[in-house]
Amino acid sequence: MQILICVKQVPDDSIEIRLDNKTKMPNLNGVSMVANAFDTYALEMAVRFMEANGGNVSVLNVGAEDSTNTLKNCLAVGAKEAYFVQDDSFVNLDALGAADALANAIRKIENDKGQKFDLILCGLESTDEITGQVGAMLAEKLETGFVSRAIAFNVKDGDLQVNQETEEGYNVVSVISPAVVTVSKPEYDPRYPTIKTKMASRKAVIPTFSAAEIGEVKQAIVRLVEYVEPPKREAGIKIQEKDAVLAVSAAIEQMKKDKAI
Amino acid sequence: MKALLYIETSGDKVLGGSVELISAVKAIDAEGTALVIGNKVAAGTVASFGIPVIYTDSVATDNDTLTEVLFEIVKGENPDMLLFANTALSKDVAPRIAARMNFGCVSDVIGMSKNDGKVMYTRPAYGGTIFERIEVEGASVVTVRGGSFSKPEAAANAEITEKNVQIPANAIKAKIVDVVKEISESVNLEEAQVIVAGGRGMGSAENFELVKELARVLGGVVGATRPPIEDGWISRAHQVGQSGKVVAPKLYIACGISGATQHTSGISGSDYIVAINKDEDAPIFEIANLAIVGDVTEILKGMIEEMKKVKAE
Repeated sequence: MQILICVKQVPDDSIEIRLDNKTKMPNLNGVSMVANAFDTYALEMAVRFMEANGGNVSVLNVGAEDSTNTLKNCLAVGAKEAYFVQDDSFVNLDALGAADALANAIRKIENDKGQKFDLILCGLESTDEITGQVGAMLAEKLETGFVSRAIAFNVKDGDLQVNQETEEGYNVVSVISPAVVTVSKPEYDPRYPTIKTKMASRKAVIPTFSAAEIGEVKQAIVRLVEYVEPPKREAGIKIQEKDAVLAVSAAIEQMKKDKAI
Repeated sequence: MKALLYIETSGDKVLGGSVELISAVKAIDAEGTALVIGNKVAAGTVASFGIPVIYTDSVATDNDTLTEVLFEIVKGENPDMLLFANTALSKDVAPRIAARMNFGCVSDVIGMSKNDGKVMYTRPAYGGTIFERIEVEGASVVTVRGGSFSKPEAAANAEITEKNVQIPANAIKAKIVDVVKEISESVNLEEAQVIVAGGRGMGSAENFELVKELARVLGGVVGATRPPIEDGWISRAHQVGQSGKVVAPKLYIACGISGATQHTSGISGSDYIVAINKDEDAPIFEIANLAIVGDVTEILKGMIEEMKKVKAE
């Protein structure tokens, strides 16, 4: 199976990001750019499938910023090929524009290779914008089937089957290939690179295109007007009794007074 | 401005988050029409809020069919906005409609206002530490976070219009072939009035039972952060926060939860937050109405007994 993972480069989400007081923009000083966590789950899922069944795993990024490092890190944890479409005109892409650019890039890669992808994976959502829209929109642009919230996939009797996370467990969804599938957190974590795979990925040559080479950039219809600070909830009353019994009775009294119980 | 509201149903029941959309469109003076698919009783419930309803009896058990039904209705009605409650279902379907119609899509909206005829949407980003204010050129598809708007009041019954939609066979590319239930309990965190939630600070599965006991005494629902779920103290159906359920109860009691942003952004719609933690600098205390510094198991034991008395009064 030929699998492609669309990877977004985002600020490391283990660091809390706040607004810069002066610029009113997210303060990304000292925050490293990494592959979006959900995209790394998708990559691990695909690489495991490839190791068990053969085939090929590729990764693709479209963006305005240099993402060579992020893509090389993907190569170091099992992807065989990486593609990059970098263009300054991608700075203000909305989700529809991103889906368009990805669809154009996918068609270009397929044409160049003379081979179609059977499965295209996207992370469920990105940890920066958290819109969770691009995967579903990409399926529409490519006119393929779509399944959201995958926690596993397999091929059974020649059919692509996806386990789709639900409130109570999962649905087994049979989908016509090629399909776009968004990936939620599976039961396992993504692997780490080894020194050997890191060294090898550093030497990799990543085919890079401009927006003009893949298609046309559509004007964003969803526009960010400004960033604002969330309203602060005021910290309320603090009870610091050493004795638990006294602490509880003070708490109950306060809750009654505030009509919380 | 014309708004179409997709009302999510479960059997005859109408999902609480989707009736809040009725208040959301009132806030921006839009003319709202609700859309109910496949359940006539639910259509009646929605009409009793005084909003006209389009009803179609198509059975949309899979998302491809639902997308197709919505697409056909939206094409016919030509609304300026299509609204959804922000659920797993709408996250799957809403962007598909947006792409098909070339509408702008705004997810997880927590506020809307109208200025010079343009709607401004507010939504959280970066795990909830930053809010974005967004405008859309032309028509939009919007998913609204539950608890962001009030539930509508009952009003004079409005009209229900029936519409038929034909689904072409090739519209369905994905089919559910099996449903696997790993969790038998049903957990309705989104609509709960009282939530008692536990975090890593509960220490063990045994101690976590105290969280469940207090929830039982208060007639509430049990919530949890990720660590207790990963440690197997409770099932993931209970997860509260940005990656779990976003909640808005009247009372939220956080036990042994330090207060990472991913969690606090998911509970900030609560009316009253009580936090119990031994660390007096725990970030959760910054947003709690009532902060109790102390040993969480001791406090919980005492609280269970006292709450029993309060309930008996």
